[in-house]
Amino acid sequence: MRQSSLRIALAVAREEWRAMWRNRVAVTAGVLLLALTLAATLVSIEQMRAVNDERAHFQASADQQWQSQPDRHPHRVVHYGHYVFRPLTPLAFFDFGVGPYTGHTLFLEGHRQNSANFSDAVQSSLLLRFGQLTPAFVLQTLTPLLIVFLAFGSVARERQGGQLRLLLSQGVPGRALVAGKLVSHGAVALLLAAPALLALALLAGFDAAIRLEAALMALGYALYLLLWTGGAVLVSSLVPRARDALLALVGVWIFTVVLLPRLMPDLANETVPRPTRIETEVAIHKDAAKLGDSHNPDDPYFSKFRQQTLAKYGVSRVEDLPVNYGGLVTREGERLTSELFVRYMDEEFARQERQGGIVGAAAVASPVIALRRLSGALAGTDRDSHQAFLMQGEAYRYALIQALNGLHVNEVRYEGDRDQRVSSALWRDLPRFAYQAPATDTLLRRHVLPALALFAAWLAVLALGAAWAGRRLERTLK
Amino acid sequence: MQTFLLEWRLALHSRLASGAVLLLLVLSALAVWSGMAAVADQRAALARIDLAQRDDVAAVAEKYQAGGDAGYAAYSTPHLTVNAPSALAFAAFGQRDVQPFSLRVRLLGLQSQLYESESVNPELAAAGRYDYAFVLVYLAPLFVIALMHDLVTGERESGRLRLLASLPSSSGTLWRRRIALRYGLVLAVLLLPFLVGALLSGASWSGIALFVAASALYVGFWFGLSAYVAGRVRTSAAAAAILLAAFVVLTLVLPAAANAAIDRALPVSKGVQISLAQRQEVHQGWDLPKPETFDKFFRTHPEWRDTSPVTGRFHWKWYYAMHQAGDDAVAPRVAQYRGDMLAREEWAERLGYVLAPVNVQALLHRAADTDLRAQLAYQERVEAFHTRLRQYFYPFIFNDRSFGPAEFAALPRYAGEAREGSIGKDGPLALLVLAALAVFLGLRGVGRAAV
Repeated sequence: MRQSSLRIALAVAREEWRAMWRNRVAVTAGVLLLALTLAATLVSIEQMRAVNDERAHFQASADQQWQSQPDRHPHRVVHYGHYVFRPLTPLAFFDFGVGPYTGHTLFLEGHRQNSANFSDAVQSSLLLRFGQLTPAFVLQTLTPLLIVFLAFGSVARERQGGQLRLLLSQGVPGRALVAGKLVSHGAVALLLAAPALLALALLAGFDAAIRLEAALMALGYALYLLLWTGGAVLVSSLVPRARDALLALVGVWIFTVVLLPRLMPDLANETVPRPTRIETEVAIHKDAAKLGDSHNPDDPYFSKFRQQTLAKYGVSRVEDLPVNYGGLVTREGERLTSELFVRYMDEEFARQERQGGIVGAAAVASPVIALRRLSGALAGTDRDSHQAFLMQGEAYRYALIQALNGLHVNEVRYEGDRDQRVSSALWRDLPRFAYQAPATDTLLRRHVLPALALFAAWLAVLALGAAWAGRRLERTLK
Repeated sequence: MQTFLLEWRLALHSRLASGAVLLLLVLSALAVWSGMAAVADQRAALARIDLAQRDDVAAVAEKYQAGGDAGYAAYSTPHLTVNAPSALAFAAFGQRDVQPFSLRVRLLGLQSQLYESESVNPELAAAGRYDYAFVLVYLAPLFVIALMHDLVTGERESGRLRLLASLPSSSGTLWRRRIALRYGLVLAVLLLPFLVGALLSGASWSGIALFVAASALYVGFWFGLSAYVAGRVRTSAAAAAILLAAFVVLTLVLPAAANAAIDRALPVSKGVQISLAQRQEVHQGWDLPKPETFDKFFRTHPEWRDTSPVTGRFHWKWYYAMHQAGDDAVAPRVAQYRGDMLAREEWAERLGYVLAPVNVQALLHRAADTDLRAQLAYQERVEAFHTRLRQYFYPFIFNDRSFGPAEFAALPRYAGEAREGSIGKDGPLALLVLAALAVFLGLRGVGRAAV
């Protein structure tokens, strides 16, 4: 755009700001939304801190219970098990994601893979389903609606009132006009998001590790709001009556923010069926029985196992082994069932991934779906993070149980196995569970960059549309 | 009659109005269909689970053909409990998409088994199920706003308002007739698919009546509110803006804020504490002298006091006494935990006295038996069943009797009869008051529409 066009655009923008400032309703609504955004941010930060404190407290209790066990037989410790709790990542305050719907407590014991329990959803009333007051909720759902209210009449009202004809006949280029409106409403949109974006900036300032995530989060939300601004101004320039523009834009909001995100999951559920927990348990049980039954003396798998073990140590009787055969059998049994657990878990994750793919296909029509992916991934509260917790929990369980089984093998004599106890010092210092959030480049590749690319593509389309609309304005008034 | 037909044609003349009504019909039908599919899925899953369970128990019973140790039989046998969907669950699916609707329990301590969660895709659960309750609570008000926002301002903007005001008949009648027509249209289009679904699902008449009444009152509330605003503003755009703001505040902002407040005021950390405490109690029993564990057990089960003492290292009756003592020790915590969750429900219901969307949601889900109370009731039924199991097995375990095929055949079965929700008194009354208030305000607001 030529320099004079730029100046005209800025002049139009300034006028638009002045008009908005004079509109008391607009200012009130804006201030209220700012207050709500600020409240949501502060409440969420506080809630996240409380949740993290509570989980840290529980982990400390569980660790303390583990440490204060008396001397026990290692197999008793395998059944005693251990509890691990999932900590929240620093940006989790911004978007609770699927957190309320996932359990955060995992009980790790031998022979069993337990579910992650005590999610918010199963302990709360249905009020939870109305939504969680987080910055993400406000920015995804409410701010676009206010943007629509502020911008629907930006061009349409002027056309209806006749000012548009006046401006264009005085030589204001149509494109500069539209650009000016875009700039003014875009700035207001970013201003409305300011409390949340500032909170991200402050946290990133304190914690260097999350700087990239916070920046990408801010970028994603900023682009999303600018998308809405662009759409609103574009519709306003194309539709003759302001009232129709409002209805059209509200219709778009209802469809993309309220309806589509609710319809797609149902489609995913119908297309990709998933087994219940009991069916999975029974299937694993059957598969395990087929592999071998360690309690059955005539079992073919374990007979072969016995022969191999005897051959390995060069003895002819189990009692002559330098290690505890009972421990070896237990350790082998755990290895077999754990392989099954991991295989079934991978299959389940693949099914959920397919379901996620069906929902994600609608992201082109409903950018909020892409934004939720981006937001949840960066906040560490999406499905991927939960699955990472489950997989790491399973890996830790396996390592812990096999370490205990190792003690059973080496520290407990085969004769009078069950009457012996082992010093707690041997298992007290086994490594603790340390949850690692998914790697940033995985997040970027799977959720962040696709969402940002989608937003960029939409913005390009809207920019072209705006340029075309600008020219159209001039032509229709000639 | 002629006037009504005229008004009917006028109402549907606007493409927005006729499009909106048709769209609402499609959305409502889709919701009912989706809800019924969800219920059918759960019923099919229960049938599959039943078969799988029979296989599992048969596999265990195989090993006891010649009779065997009752203690070990009790340890290995899983028992199935189910929570089948009620007839109205299709219309208000509620928490059924996240709560387990089938639990297997063994004779071990119940408190370590009761809180297992169902396998869900959390991303889909977070979105919530698309059912009739969603259409009623969230979408119907939007359609009401679409049809009502330009009731008066549309006439004013077309220049016909002065003409209408100059007509001899009272303008109040005119607006009332128009509102009544739109109300009838919206309600008919909403309820038609629901009624079809309810009849197909075999819902009870009282349940259907409650759903119809709740829908009528809730839609009436929004019509009243819309009429009040429509009569008082100057432009259609302003009316739409104010009504949408009201919608957002009533259905999105206030419930979410209230939920956050209730969550903070009534924390439910007890669940985890129960698990930690129960495990500790049970496992400590291994290191305590056996008479001590039996003492704890006999306090709640004095009928077994005369059983012979355990002399060896291990006996199954000592094992089960240990588990039961663990459950008994955490019983006060469990009662508190349930109390906390019920308190959350109660506060949500109280919120419904002032917020119509919250009210309707609570009402519909209680009638469909798909809320938190339903799950807590299911847990209590599982507990009662677990007690029956123990009463069945204890004679074999404590008296060292053999456990064989006849005993397996006579195992207690969980009675999974179909459940019905309940209908409270306070909730419907509050909704009636809210709707009446809104309608009263609306009629007055529209009656005073300035020319």
